[in-house]
Amino acid sequence: QDTITLRATANSNENDEDYDGLVVFKNYVENASNGAIEVEMFIGTQLCSAPDECIQGVADGTIDIYISTSSGLANAFPYVQIFDLPYLMSDDRIAEEVLTSTGLTDDLRRRILSDSGDTVRLMTIGNTGGWRNFANTERRLAEPGDLAGLKIRTVVADLPQELVRALGASPTPIAWPELFTSLQTGVVEGSKNGITDIMGMKFPDAGLQYMTLDGHAYMGALWIMNNERFMGMDDDLKRVVVDGFSALQQATFASPKRKSIEAYEEFVSGGGDLYVPTPEQKQAFQDAAAPVYDWFAANVDGGEEMLQNFRDAIAQAEESVNARRSAEME
Amino acid sequence: MLVWFLPLFLVLLMVGLPVFFALLASPGLMLWLGGQERDLVLLYRNMYNGMDSFPLMAIPFFMLAGEMMNRGGITLRLVEFAQACVGHFRAGLAQVNILSSMLFAGLSGSAVADTSALGSMLIPAMEREGYTRKFAAAVTAASSVIGPIIPPSGIMIIYAYVMEESVAALFLAGIVPGVLVGLGLMVVTNLIARRSEEFPPLKPRIGWAGKGRASLKAFFPLMTPVIILGGILGGAFTPTEASAIAVAYAAIVSLFILREMTVKDLPDVLLRAAIASSVVLLLVGAAMSFKTVVALSHAPEALAAFILSLSENPLILLLLINLLLFIIGMFLDAGPAIIILGPILGPIFTDLGVDPVHFAIIMSVNLTVGLATPPMGLVLFVASSVSGERVETIAKAILPFLAVEVFVIGLITYVPAISLAVPTFFGFL
Amino acid sequence: MGGVVAIARALGAVNAALLAVGRWLGIAAIGAMVIAILVQVFWRYVLNDPLPWPEEAARFLMLWMTGLVAPTAFRRGGFVAIDMVQLALPRLIGGLLTLVLLGLSLLVLVTAARIGWAEVTGFSGRFATSSLYYPTAEGWEKMPRSWMMGSILVGMVLLSAVAAELILRQIAILGGRGDDLPEIPMAVDIAAGAE
Ligand code: NA
Ligand code: NA
Repeated sequence: QDTITLRATANSNENDEDYDGLVVFKNYVENASNGAIEVEMFIGTQLCSAPDECIQGVADGTIDIYISTSSGLANAFPYVQIFDLPYLMSDDRIAEEVLTSTGLTDDLRRRILSDSGDTVRLMTIGNTGGWRNFANTERRLAEPGDLAGLKIRTVVADLPQELVRALGASPTPIAWPELFTSLQTGVVEGSKNGITDIMGMKFPDAGLQYMTLDGHAYMGALWIMNNERFMGMDDDLKRVVVDGFSALQQATFASPKRKSIEAYEEFVSGGGDLYVPTPEQKQAFQDAAAPVYDWFAANVDGGEEMLQNFRDAIAQAEESVNARRSAEME
Repeated sequence: MLVWFLPLFLVLLMVGLPVFFALLASPGLMLWLGGQERDLVLLYRNMYNGMDSFPLMAIPFFMLAGEMMNRGGITLRLVEFAQACVGHFRAGLAQVNILSSMLFAGLSGSAVADTSALGSMLIPAMEREGYTRKFAAAVTAASSVIGPIIPPSGIMIIYAYVMEESVAALFLAGIVPGVLVGLGLMVVTNLIARRSEEFPPLKPRIGWAGKGRASLKAFFPLMTPVIILGGILGGAFTPTEASAIAVAYAAIVSLFILREMTVKDLPDVLLRAAIASSVVLLLVGAAMSFKTVVALSHAPEALAAFILSLSENPLILLLLINLLLFIIGMFLDAGPAIIILGPILGPIFTDLGVDPVHFAIIMSVNLTVGLATPPMGLVLFVASSVSGERVETIAKAILPFLAVEVFVIGLITYVPAISLAVPTFFGFL
Repeated sequence: MGGVVAIARALGAVNAALLAVGRWLGIAAIGAMVIAILVQVFWRYVLNDPLPWPEEAARFLMLWMTGLVAPTAFRRGGFVAIDMVQLALPRLIGGLLTLVLLGLSLLVLVTAARIGWAEVTGFSGRFATSSLYYPTAEGWEKMPRSWMMGSILVGMVLLSAVAAELILRQIAILGGRGDDLPEIPMAVDIAAGAE
């Protein structure tokens, strides 16, 4: 039997958790398939540089595996923006429970398959970069009012922009490579990114010294694969691949946690102001963000249903995690 | 099998296939012959997405600004200003040519635009004064490579785009190297003029009143770089937006202050910029697809391993890389060369401790000088078409100037502060 | 050979007309790009109210500018190449080489146009743009990405038509009928690159 070569690509670099995940995947799949599957990794923008382009590549099979954030998939599958909905999942444990033990991923897989004409298959959802926080160059943001008037850089996607607007700041689209200069010169005053991206791009050197750990969005990493490629394998190999993605998922859950420790230390030792909002302040952020849910339900096709499914999944995860917690504490 | 697309590319280029088609045809043919037709779509898609970029938009805008300045009589005022400053030097008009290029470089991002704008004015003027045509064309071509070294710069926009560097940092880093190239050329011109009898006699120094008048007339044009860099550093706009501001400023100066351009000229000015930038954008797109197949062939890993096997001393490697870049610059435009080689070479040197901005300048300046070397020397082509002198003849006359440019590349390579001092001062490093 | 000349002239007339339209649209596009970015700066810096759409709108225009104007550059000799070998060879052989290279160019362009068509009409053409809307009877709709992707498809089709014309012209020249062809205005100096 011929070796199956899977072309996997991630638009990041070798310091990224996406890379860690892929290394685990490659190692698992190549060993467990006894060499029947080979994984060829293309890290960075060697094969494709924009999410739309990469998704297209997965759809027609020129790329087998690709990792996208939820905003990256938004043009093709707008409902994946549920992950950009702020303050729904409370912490890693809940998020991981939602992604591993509820029907949410299966639900999304079905929708994406059907909307892509059975070409794009969602394999798993891991994490890339932890949680998004608000960071800025001007002042400590203890409550939503402190954001008033700040220009916050977002990607050009609806939900992040709606959120920034709901909190009273101005969403400003700036190309990622121009963000450092823009922060430094004051074209924008803040951004919403995970800590590892912030430190990786050396944004504190550009003046980004105030960070509020509001954790408004879980940085879900959606791993997609060409469906025909997957369905063309026999059941043994399919099992190897899905197990490989499960291992990848675990690796990308763990890697950002480990990486962010150093990143936070570096941020603070560089003079950065790291602020943890009190429960009351966090509640105030959540209340201020409320219009975003309505916007999602009203403006995204199938948004209302998707939001409900997401809430149900979170409730289910909270229940099971709480049950396990109690058992663990007995 | 796939790896044969590299030699095939060179062959197609040498027999005269336009760069754009060679960049697509060689990987395309090899994929097709190797039964990988499916991957042809990757070529197309990377071409499309390679062009679909906001930072790249600065290229059409800076071209448009340069085109407007030229139409609006700004070039002439810069030349008059240069005349007032250095016209009385030995080989005065040649020195004026070089200084004008340095001033023009602050408004335009392109060596080709510099050659065609200044060459069409200064080469005939130099001939009238008694310079040989080949010398006039050679000075023009050699000095116009300063255009993309002093900001703004199309080449550095492309570098920043593929390498995700800060355009502003690269712009700032180019200032001192650009001035150094200019000064080096002025010194060489002086040396050549001292040794030769053929040069026209010295001209009288222009008095302070004349200098004042020339400065006044050149004031608005000379403010352009101040507005571009000031606006970027002051946080009013991003580098890409600065290019659009430069267009607006050029339009105001040309239409309302100098009044040498009228609204009727606009369509032609816009068209010239659109044509020139459409060619560049297609080239960028084609180079991006070429790069994809380079990655599929695993050539980068092989090349990186090979380079590191030569030596582990960054100083020696930098010398070798400069040689490689110089040779590549002979055959390839700077833009495609940066897109294809930047991602391969950049990380090697960054890992060895070379500052990314420093390496960007080494690579950009080296490949920019390549624009004035045969056989694929865009600037030589344009100097030839502007002057009517054969490319080969200009190529010979340009050798002493190239020598000093190579010397400056050496300085830039081994004295990082030349590139890094200015961006460090402004807090970009 | 008379037939070739006739077809070359006819195709030349069609191309000249199409490219003239393309140039006017290209002029409008580059002008509108500048305005879009000035609007972006004004709203953000002066009014402190950043707009989401100018960036993508300007990219949209830039792609259309490229697709519509590049064929004029190609037709006018603006795609730079090293022509030393073609000039150094004996006339006939050099002319045949030129013909082969034009044929290869046409092959590239037709292949690109075919892929482009599949892309525009395919899956990703249906993706939405991020911030561009167009009015419909029911209100504002997000513009599909295919409208943007159409730019380069149109460019490749026009470039193919130009390549076909240049091939016919080259055949006529090789057949000794070059004098019967209308001249194409050349503009090498303006189309030579960012460098
Ligand atoms: Na310049
Ligand atoms: Na060259």
